[in-house]
Amino acid sequence: MRHNFFYHLHPPTIPKKQARFRYTLGAGGLAVFLSLILLVTGILEMFFYVPAVEQAAESVQTIAYLVPYGDLIRNLHFWAAQFLLVVSGVHLLRVIFTGAYTPPRHLNTLIGLGLGITVVLMDFTGYILRWDEGIFWALVTGTNLVKTIPLIGNTIYRILVGGVQPGSATLIRFYAWHIFGLTLVSVVLGVWHIFRVRRDGGIAAPPTSQRESRKRIPRHTLIQREVLAMLLAGSALLILSIFSPAPIAAPIITGTSNQGETLAPWFFLWIQQLLKFGDPFLWGVLVPSVILIIFGLTPYIFPSVDDSELGRWFPAGNRVAQVSTGLIVVFMIVLTLLALLSPET
Amino acid sequence: MRRTITLASGFLFLVLLIVGWQQSLRPEPHPLTPQLTGQVEYCLTCHADLPEISPSHPVETFGCVRCHGGERLALDADLAHSTMRGGANPSDLSVVEQSCGGSKCHSGDEAAARDHIQRVRTSVQATYTGAITNIRYTFGAQPDLSPIMGIHAVDDEKTATGIAALSAFDPSMETNPALEQFAQNCLTCHLYAEPREGDAYTRFTGCAACHTPTRDFPSSSGEKKAKTVHTLTTEIAYTQCNACHNRGNYDLRTMTFVPREDVPTDRIHNYYQPIAQFTQCEWTLDCIDCHTREEAMGDGDIHGSQADMQYVQCKTCHGTITELPKTKTLTDPDDIAFRMALLNPVIDLKLGDTIIVTEQGEPLWNTRMLPDGNFELFGKATGQRFLFRPVMGTSCEQKPDEQASRYCHECHAVER
Repeated sequence: MRHNFFYHLHPPTIPKKQARFRYTLGAGGLAVFLSLILLVTGILEMFFYVPAVEQAAESVQTIAYLVPYGDLIRNLHFWAAQFLLVVSGVHLLRVIFTGAYTPPRHLNTLIGLGLGITVVLMDFTGYILRWDEGIFWALVTGTNLVKTIPLIGNTIYRILVGGVQPGSATLIRFYAWHIFGLTLVSVVLGVWHIFRVRRDGGIAAPPTSQRESRKRIPRHTLIQREVLAMLLAGSALLILSIFSPAPIAAPIITGTSNQGETLAPWFFLWIQQLLKFGDPFLWGVLVPSVILIIFGLTPYIFPSVDDSELGRWFPAGNRVAQVSTGLIVVFMIVLTLLALLSPET
Repeated sequence: MRRTITLASGFLFLVLLIVGWQQSLRPEPHPLTPQLTGQVEYCLTCHADLPEISPSHPVETFGCVRCHGGERLALDADLAHSTMRGGANPSDLSVVEQSCGGSKCHSGDEAAARDHIQRVRTSVQATYTGAITNIRYTFGAQPDLSPIMGIHAVDDEKTATGIAALSAFDPSMETNPALEQFAQNCLTCHLYAEPREGDAYTRFTGCAACHTPTRDFPSSSGEKKAKTVHTLTTEIAYTQCNACHNRGNYDLRTMTFVPREDVPTDRIHNYYQPIAQFTQCEWTLDCIDCHTREEAMGDGDIHGSQADMQYVQCKTCHGTITELPKTKTLTDPDDIAFRMALLNPVIDLKLGDTIIVTEQGEPLWNTRMLPDGNFELFGKATGQRFLFRPVMGTSCEQKPDEQASRYCHECHAVER
């Protein structure tokens, strides 16, 4: 075990103060755990899922109702995916609100953001794979947004959807992206991300000389905490899976005018609300892209945090980044609530 | 820390026990692969105790989804039922083609009389065109009594009645308020419409309006037969017809329905409203013992009103003083009479039997000529055997051109 590759990724010791849950929120570790759950449950689902328009929704029904423990596996996959989005968001906010993106961690911040985008795309493609009436908004409105991009929109749409409208080519492409393309990207980025955490000196903390305490926790204590987090997160996932099954609906019947669900998946509700303001390219593509770019440029355009201020929440050195990120988050939450409350959606 | 981990492990174990318990609650899936669809369906997981709908539709052959639609794999009631055709009633005329149609089912060959759906759609029970025409004419919305509108638009290119199409009656296009009243209060007596509220009017829409009994009815076993919702039958008692017919009258001044006020307890009083005149056979038999399939379900042509459609008279069975009723000796084993008698086996028809046929050639397959020249008739709903004789050779004083029932009622009406 001592020379295990795992130890390249897993830190031997961590400064005691920065190892506390109230500092990390356990978000990074939980993301790893949830990804593993997703990988295992996803592989199990692949034994039954059929990526063909006529059979996809029925194969999902087979998993949900007929395969022994199939509903449990599917619900775990669903809930782990939703949590992964939340936990990734929390992780990003923790990094900004503690100034941990400060060089030398600026590159890893970008890798993390890339991982975050991958997670959103994984959720989106996985959602489409249901191919039932519940995915209507995502399948039509979501993909149509791509068309609004000037000059290259139609080409990107054709590449994504595989035709002039969603159909069997779309499903097989989304399947390939979900199972292969995006999984590959997330594994590469994920391993790189964790590796860089260690390369950049472990969790962000002030230089040893400037710490209040030099205490560190050993590897086995960290593992104990991780095991505890996994036990609790696992229990939470199981409870949700039992009492709140993943959404399912009747299959999309090609050629019918049934519109099905008109609500976007919850993580895109804010974009759905933005679209009501008018021009789809401006509100549906440009505004979300600008937000993404702001997050991406955070280490470069906002002031860095002084070394002595690292390793704690809300350092004075990057107030601008905290405020702007806070505003963006409030903006997204308000839009989401508006979308949920508005009668026409 | 170790204690916390132990506690958390205990908690996870507890959750896993709940998972196991919850999984054990799931019903054992009950698969069925009907011969007609070849696709497995799991409806019987919950509906195993539902009686078979009819001997003609065995569940092993048809399954559930072929007629009802729905999600065949889903074991969650909401999802499984979400795509059912016509809710609980797949025979509703809005979906009947998908549910009951098909060239080998009920939208088949006209010559073999398997075009039930086309006939019903164009029948007056579905178009209600007589009532619409009369009311529109009465209130000046059309210049004459030619049928131009029905409940839904229908067309029939090969019509034998001269009415090639009806357009849909749209009350919002009418200017006379009486017609809006009519639309609001009086459009409940056709096969597309949900019935009026009240036990007496309970029936389904579409085919099931007649073929699914919604009240207890006298049966061929002599006992009262309890209604079962999951039933399709050709044993249709007068009680089912009475869900629409003989329930009351329309008041043309107020454009409202006036329900009959009597509370009948026996057949003779229940059958017709108090003002009606009728003979003995008109209440001891059931409606369908005399009235034919084409009268009730249509003959495929568009007709202007009930009066144009209904043609069976007393003389159909009894003849006149100068003519015997029309008869036909069954020589073809594929004769439709045998098919009818097979569906509702109240009579054991054999090759060589002579049965009555109507003026338009429809077989009254529940009748048979006896060696002495008299006839027997078996009630389609009751199975009861009735004997009757032709008018010819009796002391009846009818005039050959006075054949409407009111002329017969002059002598033969029953007092109640």
